[in-house]
Amino acid sequence: MELLPFFEWAETSFLGYIGKTYGGVYATFGQSIHLMSLAVLGGSVLVTDLRLLGVIMKDVPSEVVADQAHKWFRISLAFILATGIFMAAAVAQRMYYNDFFWAKMSALLVGIIFVFAIKRPLLKGNHADVQPWLLKLVAVASILVWFSVAATGRWIGFS
Amino acid sequence: MINELLLQFAEWLYATGGSRAIEESFYLYNWIEATHVITIMLCLGMLVFIDLRMLGLAMPGVSAVKIADRLNIPMMIGFVIMFITGLLLFYAKPTYTIQSIWFRIKMVLLVVAFINAVLFHKRMKASASSWEFEAKAPRRLRISAALSLGLWAGVVMTGRLIAYDWYHCYRELPAWLGAAAGCVAD
Repeated sequence: MELLPFFEWAETSFLGYIGKTYGGVYATFGQSIHLMSLAVLGGSVLVTDLRLLGVIMKDVPSEVVADQAHKWFRISLAFILATGIFMAAAVAQRMYYNDFFWAKMSALLVGIIFVFAIKRPLLKGNHADVQPWLLKLVAVASILVWFSVAATGRWIGFS
Repeated sequence: MINELLLQFAEWLYATGGSRAIEESFYLYNWIEATHVITIMLCLGMLVFIDLRMLGLAMPGVSAVKIADRLNIPMMIGFVIMFITGLLLFYAKPTYTIQSIWFRIKMVLLVVAFINAVLFHKRMKASASSWEFEAKAPRRLRISAALSLGLWAGVVMTGRLIAYDWYHCYRELPAWLGAAAGCVAD
């Protein structure tokens, strides 16, 4: 499948036009809200994972932490995707040729599948029914994958 | 006067070997920058959950004081990392940064956020036993928590905007803005 025409179209779309033409809108509604959402998304990931690893909040049931954090994970994911699409549209052709953009998209896809197909179904029930080593493995994998998403994302701008 | 002194200090920093070494190293500078940004997840991530708890929007069934207390340590670890990497970023580009209006607004917001955090902590400790198991903190603390979220959102935004030179001294600026940004007559 040839994706270049889609990226070319994205840059001429209304979203792409706004981001390209108004640098202030791109920097505030795009980049800044993307980073604020990163704070919430990262917080919800780390609160859960550090709890599962027994690093923080050992006296709060991990089910409560995981459920509450997931609520905010979904909200922040929606914001981070929306602002991400807005930013990518404005510089779509450059993104198409940027290796770190594709690295980030791959990491992001892995992250989203990991959360909704593995982590969430596993943490939905009683955590005592899950092997402790499995909970810890999921926590470490989660931290690594979301760190990769953030780091490759930041590196898009450097490359 | 103060702007002249700040610029002189920045110029002195700029001339030091370490400053030149960081700015001229692609990987060193960018990894410090990336660390600064990525640590948002730890520092502000924990802060967001403390504030959301006070507003009754996260973990309402868990003691608010316990949440604040338990998340405080990872938040402070994140803050220390952000502070150190932030200092290094300033050290790498002191003359540009000292004349950035966004950097200056960011510093003011940080000070206000710090004062707000100290007051919040004091008030929370003083009254905690009477409400800590309620879903929402008392009104004054909720205002403080909302203010905290707003201030830190401002810190993130102005921090991101430092990269943009829309209002830098080599642009045409109104006098008040030039003074606020720290522009100095040649």
